[in-house]
Amino acid sequence: MSERQPTRAEVTEALRRFLLEHFPAARRASLPDDAPLLESGIVDSLGILELVNFVTETFGVTVNDEDLQPENFSSIQQLATFVERRRG
Amino acid sequence: MDHLTHHLLRASVERYPERIGLVHSERRLTYAELDRASDRLARAFLGAGLGRLERVAVFLEKSVEETLAILSASKAGGVFVPINHLLFPEQVEHILRDCTPKILVTSRARLAQLTEVVERAPGLTCVVVTDGPPETQAGPRRVLELSRVLDPLEPGLDGPPRIASISNDLAAILYTSGSTGKPKGVMLSHANLLAGARIVSTYLKITESDRILSVLPFSFDYGLNQLLTGLAQAATVILLSFRFPGEVVNAIRNEQATGLAGVPSFWTLLSQPGSPVHRQPLPSLRYITNSGGAVPRPLYDALRKALPTTEIYLMYGLTEAFRSTYLPPEEADRRPGSMGKAIPDTEIYVVNERGGMCQPGEPGELVHRGPTVSLGYWGLPEATAKVLRPNPLALPQVGNAEPVCYSGDIVKMDEDGFLYFIGRRDATIKCAGHRISPTEVEEILIGTQRVREAAAIGIPDELMGQAVLAVVVARDGQPIDVDALLADCALKMPRYMIPRRVEVVTSLPKTAHGKIDYPFLRRQYASAPA
Repeated sequence: MSERQPTRAEVTEALRRFLLEHFPAARRASLPDDAPLLESGIVDSLGILELVNFVTETFGVTVNDEDLQPENFSSIQQLATFVERRRG
Repeated sequence: MDHLTHHLLRASVERYPERIGLVHSERRLTYAELDRASDRLARAFLGAGLGRLERVAVFLEKSVEETLAILSASKAGGVFVPINHLLFPEQVEHILRDCTPKILVTSRARLAQLTEVVERAPGLTCVVVTDGPPETQAGPRRVLELSRVLDPLEPGLDGPPRIASISNDLAAILYTSGSTGKPKGVMLSHANLLAGARIVSTYLKITESDRILSVLPFSFDYGLNQLLTGLAQAATVILLSFRFPGEVVNAIRNEQATGLAGVPSFWTLLSQPGSPVHRQPLPSLRYITNSGGAVPRPLYDALRKALPTTEIYLMYGLTEAFRSTYLPPEEADRRPGSMGKAIPDTEIYVVNERGGMCQPGEPGELVHRGPTVSLGYWGLPEATAKVLRPNPLALPQVGNAEPVCYSGDIVKMDEDGFLYFIGRRDATIKCAGHRISPTEVEEILIGTQRVREAAAIGIPDELMGQAVLAVVVARDGQPIDVDALLADCALKMPRYMIPRRVEVVTSLPKTAHGKIDYPFLRRQYASAPA
């Protein structure tokens, strides 16, 4: 990542791109920001790990164990909010 | 005499009618309630025209309803077919066409995805919907709402139906992939399922005080066995779907679970560095068992450290013969890498290519003999004959009366009879406990019309055991858009089947017979990380 912090829109877009690339079931549905990721089965339990690694490496945020909650991963929107909150 | 699958409930209902048999989040069913509800659904199945040995397909996530459907199919003299909830309509359609169930039990949302598949399913006459009226018409099929069936005011559904089944009858069909072709239905008799429950509860010492946390699907024979073992022993079976390791740890703590079964990728997930399993002692957990792939030593050590008071049983099995071996916890340190010895009431041979018995240390095929050897593949006598063959050690006077199961797995035995896995003889890929046939992936790749030829092989993957690598050849003069290719695949198959990597080549290596040379491809990409 560059020195400048990515904007909310950039975070959202990066998450969407990653999901489309790595979670093919995402392509089956159109993927609006509020599309459910967990109940829909797009992201499964093993997928969460990949998502955590991506968020950690790309945005430099720490994902603690207590962050591993359905609320934080339920949609692109929620994930972007989580990333923003973490970066402070 | 208890000789049918649902009879496993009987002793438990008599001894402990008010004990909780099944838990799913907030829902708790006593043994008496489970028994009554499954009687009603069985009668409803019969009322919908289910005949003896006709199939009941069950396409649901882990739930009370899924369990009821399984027990009720047995009570009605039918055959249950649990379908893995991860499958896409393409794969579900294959199963419905292959074993032609008369009844499908599913949810509204799943039925909505399957509208066309259900429309085309041959022989399907009734759909049981578990959560209210269906959103869409299920064609000309009869629709039953489960809530109505279970409503005590609905007349004529009480008491166990009278059926003619015997223990040799077909009880279940579990779909699993081999090295070629589409998934095959492994046929299990009531006797097979009862033997599996008896054998496993013996060596895991399961009693009525156990509380078994069930995370594996019932479409997987070992997941199904946990349910049957638990019900037979009047234990409590706790059903859990989860996304985060913390949910598993919470369930163990809150439900005071004593037993848990998983596949290697599940344990990797549970023992991630950030997982709460490392911070919260779980003293209730008496044992865990692994099946569906080998647990690498570092993972075993991590589990031992995280669960110091829990016994770890490593097991090996294949659906065609249920489980074959287990390594007693006390042997694990003495024999690292071993898959153990035969389970009770079972004999394991290691057979060389000449059909003789291997010496200690000599690699050969694992052959399983015992009461859990299945009845073979549904509708595929030739494929069955390759796997279920006459016992090579039978007395000549006994002849070919007893089939044994040739596993296709190459193993060796040490001086003390402990077995060690070496590799698979065929091209089956194993990803996170799922068996994948290269053909299934290749057919979909070619079906996209974006490639001329395709070969799928397994490459090592730290988390999943193996991942799929697709080697593809372009159509004449057209470049391959790999991204679009994967996007097309995504519409046709669940995530574990989708190639992790795609290699574009100008031609595929072939054998003298013109078949794809898989061993060559595997050697070529063997060290390639996913």
